[in-house]
Amino acid sequence: MSMSTPGPERVPSSVKVTKTSGQGKPPTSAGSTPGRKPGAKGPAGKGGGKGRKPVTPVKVAGGRNWGPIAVAGVVVLVAVGIIGYGVYAAVQGSRDWQDKASEIAGVVNYRKQNNAAINDQSHKQGQLQYVTSPPVGGAHNATPQNCSGDVYDAPIANEHAVHSLEHGAVWITYKQGLAADQVNVLKSKVEGQDYTMMSPYAGLDKNVSVQVWGFQYKTDDVNDPKIDQFIKDTRLVSALEPGVSCSGGNTTTGPLQAAGNGTVMNK
Amino acid sequence: MTVSTDPGAAADAAAPPETRRARGPIWAAVLALVLGVALGIGIGLSIPHFTKPGDDSVEAGFLRDMSTHHAQAVEMSMIAHQKSDDAEIVYVANDIALTQHGQIGYMQAWLRDWGLSPTGSQKPMAWMPNSAGSVVNGLMPGMATPEQLTKLRAASGKELNTEFLTLMRQHHLGGIHMAQEAVKLSDNKDIDWIAESMVQSQQTELGLIDDLLKKVQAS
Repeated sequence: MSMSTPGPERVPSSVKVTKTSGQGKPPTSAGSTPGRKPGAKGPAGKGGGKGRKPVTPVKVAGGRNWGPIAVAGVVVLVAVGIIGYGVYAAVQGSRDWQDKASEIAGVVNYRKQNNAAINDQSHKQGQLQYVTSPPVGGAHNATPQNCSGDVYDAPIANEHAVHSLEHGAVWITYKQGLAADQVNVLKSKVEGQDYTMMSPYAGLDKNVSVQVWGFQYKTDDVNDPKIDQFIKDTRLVSALEPGVSCSGGNTTTGPLQAAGNGTVMNK
Repeated sequence: MTVSTDPGAAADAAAPPETRRARGPIWAAVLALVLGVALGIGIGLSIPHFTKPGDDSVEAGFLRDMSTHHAQAVEMSMIAHQKSDDAEIVYVANDIALTQHGQIGYMQAWLRDWGLSPTGSQKPMAWMPNSAGSVVNGLMPGMATPEQLTKLRAASGKELNTEFLTLMRQHHLGGIHMAQEAVKLSDNKDIDWIAESMVQSQQTELGLIDDLLKKVQAS
């Protein structure tokens, strides 16, 4: 960067210098200095402008302008390149995660739908109904499901899991009875990874469904690279309550009734 | 501008070359102006991207990994804070949970400042040289296994106290190792500041944990 900074300064300053030297030295055919291109350019322009013998300098000026023009051209190209990169980098850096997630083929963006049942963030105790399966948002129990890389070997309560989605967790669910080696592939995406959790899910229509609050991706292939892409683009940033941790939540499995962690079952 | 066109019109024979020559300086001045503005904008837009750590930098890798590492310390401390019957352990658990959750806040904020995602495309610990093999089942150095966490959650009394202190001792050792590497590898003053403070505070805490562990085991 520091190399190109003086560039534009030099270009105009050299022009000015030639202007003044041109005024100081009225061109005579013998006095022009053919060896110095920038020097000759100025006198030609300015000297001609004063209305003096125009004929000789014209050719000189026409021929010698190409040097500075070439330099200027290169500088313009460099400048355009730098601006282009700067703008590109700025635009890329500020790209919203929601745009990135939506661009993954097959991802459903429920936030866009403005469905009141999905957008509901209220705390309600007891069993709740969800409009998608697995749920991607909606009212939920006060206690979240622990999501610090927790791998659950049995289905967990939606009412807790949705609260974890609100905290920015990625919830990987898979069809109950999926082969152990396939489950292990998914497990490797969760273990040791904060803001993730995984559980089997009853009645899933595909082998795998990955969701965060408002976004869902379903696939039959546990090795589908879009699962990793989805996790990378949504984990943590999808939090509706940024900064809330995934720890200290419910760690038991089973439907809500079986979650024996003191959850009150009143309406 | 008018000065340069007038003589061009006056000298009939050489009119076209005159105007061409006369416009040279104007063209150069305009070009210089455009270039100056353009370069200024370009540099202004680009400089932050060269001065801020990149997506695959040591700094970004450390912040992402240490956030996850810290999250587990918070997790374990919350369990101990909730269930321990030893006032000193409840206090140290409280201290660890709040300190490390606060540090997660710093680390996530810097990633955000740098325009980076909290998640990276590199594997855990990739920022640290010779770290291959230090991640087992996705767990970074010192992290407790899911089985150990399950055991901790189920434990109570002396077993809980011993288990928590043992796991946290191990966790701190791994964390200190990572933080020391970050200080060594990075010249970023924010990274050095937070990593040095982690090394300092966790080493002090290790002394306390060792004392408490002796006391609990003797009880």
